[in-house]
Amino acid sequence: METFNNFLGGTVALFSDPLGILIFFGGVIGGMLFGAIPGVSMLTLAAILLPFTAHLSPEHGIMLFSVIYCTGVYGGAITAILFNIPGAPENAPTAFDGYPMTKNGQAGKAVGAAVMCSALGGTVSAVIMMIATAPIANWAISAFGPPEIFALVFFGLAVASSVGAKTFWKGWLSILAGLLIAIVGLDPVGGIERWDFNMPYLLAGIHFIPTILGFFAVTEIFVQAEKKAKGSYVAPKLSVDFPTLAELIAHKVAVIRSIVIGFFCGILPGIGATLAAFMGYNEAVRWSKNPSEFGKGKLEGVISSETANNAATGAAMIPLLALGLPGGALTAMMVGVFQMHDMEPGPLVFINSADLVWVVFAAMFFANLSILFVGYLETKTIINLLRIPFQFLAPMILCLATVGAYAVRGLTIDVIVMFVAGAIGFFLRRSGYSVAGIVLGLILGRIGEQTFAQAMQMLHFEWSGFIGRPIALGLIIAGFLTLGGSIYGAFFKKV
Amino acid sequence: MGNLKTGHIVEAAIWLSLTIFLYIYSFEFDKEIEIYKYGASSWPRAILLLIAIAAIGQLAFHWRSGDGAGTSMIGQATADSAEDAAHESHHDSARWYAWTFFLLAIPFVYLNLPEWIAAAMSLEKPGLHTVKLISAAVLVAIYLIAIRGNHVGGILALPILFGAFLQDFGFYAMAPVFILGVMYLFGERRYKHMVLVMAGLFALLLMFFVSLLYLGLPAGNISPFYDFGTGLVNILQ
Amino acid sequence: MKLKKHLASVGTIAVSMALSANVAFAACATDGLPASMDGPDGYPERALTMIVPYGPAGGSGQVAQAMAQAVSDLTGVSINRDHKPGGSGAVGMTSFMATPADGYTVLEHIDDASSGHALDSSRPNPADDLIPLVTSQITFSQVYIRVEEDRFTDWASFVDWVKAQDGKATIANVSKEGSMERVTMKFITDATGMEIQQISFDKGAPRYGALAGGQVDALFEQPGDVRKFLDAGTFKPILTILKEAPEAFADVPSLTDAGLDFEPLYRFRGFYVHKDAPADRVEWLQWAFQKAYCEESYQKYNESKFMTLIESFRDTEGSRELINNTVAQYRDVYKAMGLEVK
Repeated sequence: METFNNFLGGTVALFSDPLGILIFFGGVIGGMLFGAIPGVSMLTLAAILLPFTAHLSPEHGIMLFSVIYCTGVYGGAITAILFNIPGAPENAPTAFDGYPMTKNGQAGKAVGAAVMCSALGGTVSAVIMMIATAPIANWAISAFGPPEIFALVFFGLAVASSVGAKTFWKGWLSILAGLLIAIVGLDPVGGIERWDFNMPYLLAGIHFIPTILGFFAVTEIFVQAEKKAKGSYVAPKLSVDFPTLAELIAHKVAVIRSIVIGFFCGILPGIGATLAAFMGYNEAVRWSKNPSEFGKGKLEGVISSETANNAATGAAMIPLLALGLPGGALTAMMVGVFQMHDMEPGPLVFINSADLVWVVFAAMFFANLSILFVGYLETKTIINLLRIPFQFLAPMILCLATVGAYAVRGLTIDVIVMFVAGAIGFFLRRSGYSVAGIVLGLILGRIGEQTFAQAMQMLHFEWSGFIGRPIALGLIIAGFLTLGGSIYGAFFKKV
Repeated sequence: MGNLKTGHIVEAAIWLSLTIFLYIYSFEFDKEIEIYKYGASSWPRAILLLIAIAAIGQLAFHWRSGDGAGTSMIGQATADSAEDAAHESHHDSARWYAWTFFLLAIPFVYLNLPEWIAAAMSLEKPGLHTVKLISAAVLVAIYLIAIRGNHVGGILALPILFGAFLQDFGFYAMAPVFILGVMYLFGERRYKHMVLVMAGLFALLLMFFVSLLYLGLPAGNISPFYDFGTGLVNILQ
Repeated sequence: MKLKKHLASVGTIAVSMALSANVAFAACATDGLPASMDGPDGYPERALTMIVPYGPAGGSGQVAQAMAQAVSDLTGVSINRDHKPGGSGAVGMTSFMATPADGYTVLEHIDDASSGHALDSSRPNPADDLIPLVTSQITFSQVYIRVEEDRFTDWASFVDWVKAQDGKATIANVSKEGSMERVTMKFITDATGMEIQQISFDKGAPRYGALAGGQVDALFEQPGDVRKFLDAGTFKPILTILKEAPEAFADVPSLTDAGLDFEPLYRFRGFYVHKDAPADRVEWLQWAFQKAYCEESYQKYNESKFMTLIESFRDTEGSRELINNTVAQYRDVYKAMGLEVK
């Protein structure tokens, strides 16, 4: 009951003044728009808006980012489906089946399913978040130290290695390549310069946003360009036939499964939503009677990954608010918004700014609901982007991606990194490596090394120290079991 | 040779030589950290070791079972027709690769060469700027000659060249040229259309990001590009 | 008893804040400067750009925001902040050095620029290669423990406890070798003869979370950054790294009280312009930034960050002196520590 009262309080705070309502809908539309325009993403919008939130009240600033977060994760699915350009890593599995559906002339059906599943997954997740965050916060602050987070990263990588690549070895080589790229820059323990090759701008390290833009947006343009040069380019077919209600109900098992997976994966800091989407998709394939149909335009693929990644949005707020641990780039910027208003997310946030937390919760709940209505209208218009001839769409996407890559840190090296990643991705696409794996390795590499070093410092460089920490030990064992499972699957199982 | 193809050996050779190169380079930062026993280089070297193991493992796998994927991996990256497209266009010959890598190297020459020349001649900032302008002009000319006959290589290299020029010449001066260049390389030849689309797109970008959102895009550092960029921003804001 | 003591110290802070607030508004360092000044030949005819080598949310991002706002309020000239984080400030510095020296681009930087130059003289010296416009924040560090900690309660019992742990006690600190934080920790361990494992955190929030969650035993930080935790009664300082305790932390032992004999190092943040920028424009910028320091909005901001406990203002000459002293001090320390000084 207290939860419900708090929720009402948050709702009233959210909608009691006209500026709040304006910002809410601005965020909903902005998140969807930036998520859905290929080349830029909700992260671009968030990076641009971050300095401006200083002028807003804390409630408005944080509410705006929560709204962009929810709608942006959904918006990124649209470009994944229409152009094979996931707006964020968590939308990557959506493209596995979504893009083939576009090529089969079922773009409308895929996008429609994404709208409904995102709204559903997100709303359910928001409700669980409201109930669960405070108790988890109290427990996790002392239970989750660097050794536990390192163990979590290890587990996450073990799961991710089995997704997206052609073979077991290529899966791991992709992840390891990501971990390798993450090393460039200053080391996380002593600030020592590594692999900078005397280029001062490389000291900033290689950021994952330009890398994602490069591997997905730019590479896709290059591949299409090659096809066009050869004359084998086929413009995607258009359709706006939404999925019927019956079709969705037929997938109810997939939806429920993905909500559960999405929420539990979402709690993991750093990888939450991405892992959620990959695992949601992975499980859909495993449970299926006809796994070979996936990857060729199966509606269930889109449903599974989109439900899972939106179910993770609410869950990702738990480590953010409870531990001050952001789950990804956008939640990291939310930490920035908090700090700009002199608030530190972490267990104290419930003591210091409980009202504000409930504004966030209410905003996320309503943002997820509004995806359903605004998203339905928006999709009908966004889908028309496909009508633009490719030679005009390409410079548009490349310019937007340039702005998007630059806006994150204000460094031109990020633009170069993006285009180089695009060229590398062009060659990797021919070879069975998983670019999503590289990106995941890159995101987790730094957290992994840092928490490993901290864990070692805390445990006085005795590896046996992990045994004394049951949560860390459990996660590491789970990681090895996952690894063992994929080795078994790759080498001993007869297909 | 088992089921190995040349491609598999090249792939393993690339991974292993990358590992060796980076391992040698890791001695540059093989420093002790007072409060951390493993220092700055243990983690990178552990990753390099794992890569070497995986690269050899992959070679062994190909030796045993050739290209056959045969595993239960899902969501394969080759699900699209990128591989076929490459094959059809003969973009997988050694000559094509060498040519393309030459094109891709051009932007990196620009990023390094002028600094070296300026250091060697101990030039101050104005001298460095002159060197940069001349190198840029020469490299653009080389690029234009080199893309004849390697269309796809040209498309891959153009954005990187654009990125390399951004800091010195600015987004405002470079973007219109870049937009036109992409359209040309993508086969558009109707010049009226090109100019109209370029102007429309550029104006939209500026209005949205610069006038509305006050986003500071790179204005360039070298005159007259710098003056053009800052002047444009001044009008727009 | 403990609670009472804590309440007392919070009370002291509040009172002294009020006092220093009055002092700040009554007389500010640059009240003597003219209230307005015309730029030379219509300069500045467009917005200035301020390069900030750190993200918008941290201490530097916030001070840049506050100062830019104050300068704009004072002069009507808008300032676009351009955040270029990375490489412990090295990336923003490199990028600033490449911009034209026309007086339209200014730089925010912290003492890391000085210690960076001390370690590697090929990096720009903020006192010689740049012109400091103003130093607007100078602060000191403290050692914090949790208020609910029962293994030790003050500096003396902390030192005893750490010594009894035989090197297994832990303190959260930043990650950069040779930084102000790490050098100061070395001073402390040398002076007390205690051995303590430092744990590297490069971001603030996890560093504070580690202390709050009991993952580490203590924390090294500046008071402005953990003010929230002090006000909430989660953390308490047990050592102030200054020769003499400031009034707001009168209960906390200073270096002298604790019998530690070393020169404290400061964290300072300031604003710079190219040394080749036209002299008349530099003069105007000096006036604008120094005068803006005394704008009410800026003073309020400084207070909220505990930046008024010791004198935070330095003009150009004062900043140069501060930087030169700092560089010399770090050079000596680095040599003594056996670090390679280039």
